Amino acid sequence: MERNLIMFSSVTFAMKGKNILMKNNIFSKVVRTPMYLQNKSCGYSLILNNDIDKAMGILRSNGISVLGTAAVDRL
Amino acid sequence: MIYFDNGATTFPKPVSVKNAVNSVLSNYGANPGRSGHKMSVKSSEIIYECRENISKLFGTDNPEKVIFTINCTAALNTVIKGVLKRGDHAVISSLEHNAVVRPLEFLTKNGVEYSVADYVPYDDEATIDNFRQAIKSNTKLVICTHASNVFGVKLPVERIGALCKIYGILFCVDVAQTAGVIPISLKDNYIDFICAAGHKGLYGPMGTGLLVINSDTLPDGLVQGGTGSDSANTQQPEALPDKYESGTPNLPGIAGLNAGIKYILRKDINRISDYEMTLSQKLYDQLNLIDGVILYTKRPEKRWSVPVISFNINNLDSEEVSEILNRKFNIAVRAGLHCAPLAHKSFGTIETGTVRAVVSTFTTVNDINYFANSVRKICYDNKIKKRN
Repeated sequence: MERNLIMFSSVTFAMKGKNILMKNNIFSKVVRTPMYLQNKSCGYSLILNNDIDKAMGILRSNGISVLGTAAVDRL
Repeated sequence: MIYFDNGATTFPKPVSVKNAVNSVLSNYGANPGRSGHKMSVKSSEIIYECRENISKLFGTDNPEKVIFTINCTAALNTVIKGVLKRGDHAVISSLEHNAVVRPLEFLTKNGVEYSVADYVPYDDEATIDNFRQAIKSNTKLVICTHASNVFGVKLPVERIGALCKIYGILFCVDVAQTAGVIPISLKDNYIDFICAAGHKGLYGPMGTGLLVINSDTLPDGLVQGGTGSDSANTQQPEALPDKYESGTPNLPGIAGLNAGIKYILRKDINRISDYEMTLSQKLYDQLNLIDGVILYTKRPEKRWSVPVISFNINNLDSEEVSEILNRKFNIAVRAGLHCAPLAHKSFGTIETGTVRAVVSTFTTVNDINYFANSVRKICYDNKIKKRN
């Protein structure tokens, strides 16, 4: 099943994003960002099943900087 | 042991702190922020939770601006050495700890200068005026303690912050002695940097300290290295907290600190403050009745002080009193200069030092009575009379 990945520069921002999304009833999981998705290696992402647009809106409105998003099917 | 050395390190720690440290070492102590396995993610979660709780305690909304250090001294060094460059000037109070004075003395070799603004006991207006007069055109940073680690007297940091705002100067507050003891809010005050120890009033283990940044002006980082992020880049990340946190963090310590802060938030810092002040006042009142005991401040009141009492016994060396309390009465205190020579100069005790007694949430009225009776006994045994 294809899932959505929101990529962050560090684990701190991934954790912050996860907690903010959780307060908005969007559940996600912190994972390492796959190497092939990163220009500069080592980062953390949130993986979630749906609500990607809503999630991105919430993160943006909370001032959390996101490196990018991707659809993945192997995680 | 009857423990009154809480100004140096609080003891005992809450059971929850011991359990949190133990849980890291027993259950999930993997490297945080480096891997994606469950143990590593759990470790990262605890560290982030601690950042959130620290933010809550200091009234800020940015957990990523909470930087973990090994102690308050390291946090102060980060601010002082990261902000001040050749040609810059800093202002400090006359109550500062060597954690502030020594880094500044070190920087004077590199063209940084600093001035000391005298604290005027129980006169905020005069103290503020001394800060105002010490400010120069090249003053970049004001650093001052929230309260003296020796005498417990508070500096009017709210008003000093307002002064800094007017002059466009960065303001750093050393809350080593007050974090977890009295409230301080970054929301309500102009404070750019807060430096705190984790092992005192926050009830964490030793080896924990923190810097909370509330400014867009970021000090240069003092240590560079691996952060688990942006690893292909050989430059240190600019994003917080990674800019200042390289290498594996002290996870057991931070987990313990997190539990300590939760303990404070649960108990309510205002109630802690009331309880400890009441005990401190009882101790002061009893010591004040003993012939031969010298006290250096007025009776502690929340308006002016935190619960720290310094005293001496006529004709006895402060270290000697500490040793007698230890040996004969099983009481732990700290004597001497408490790494704060400026404060001792201000209060005229640089030659003698003082004996310092600091309570914690675990101190009881019985402890206070026992302490006072022990001091009374020392005076009696040594035939100490009131100084005329």
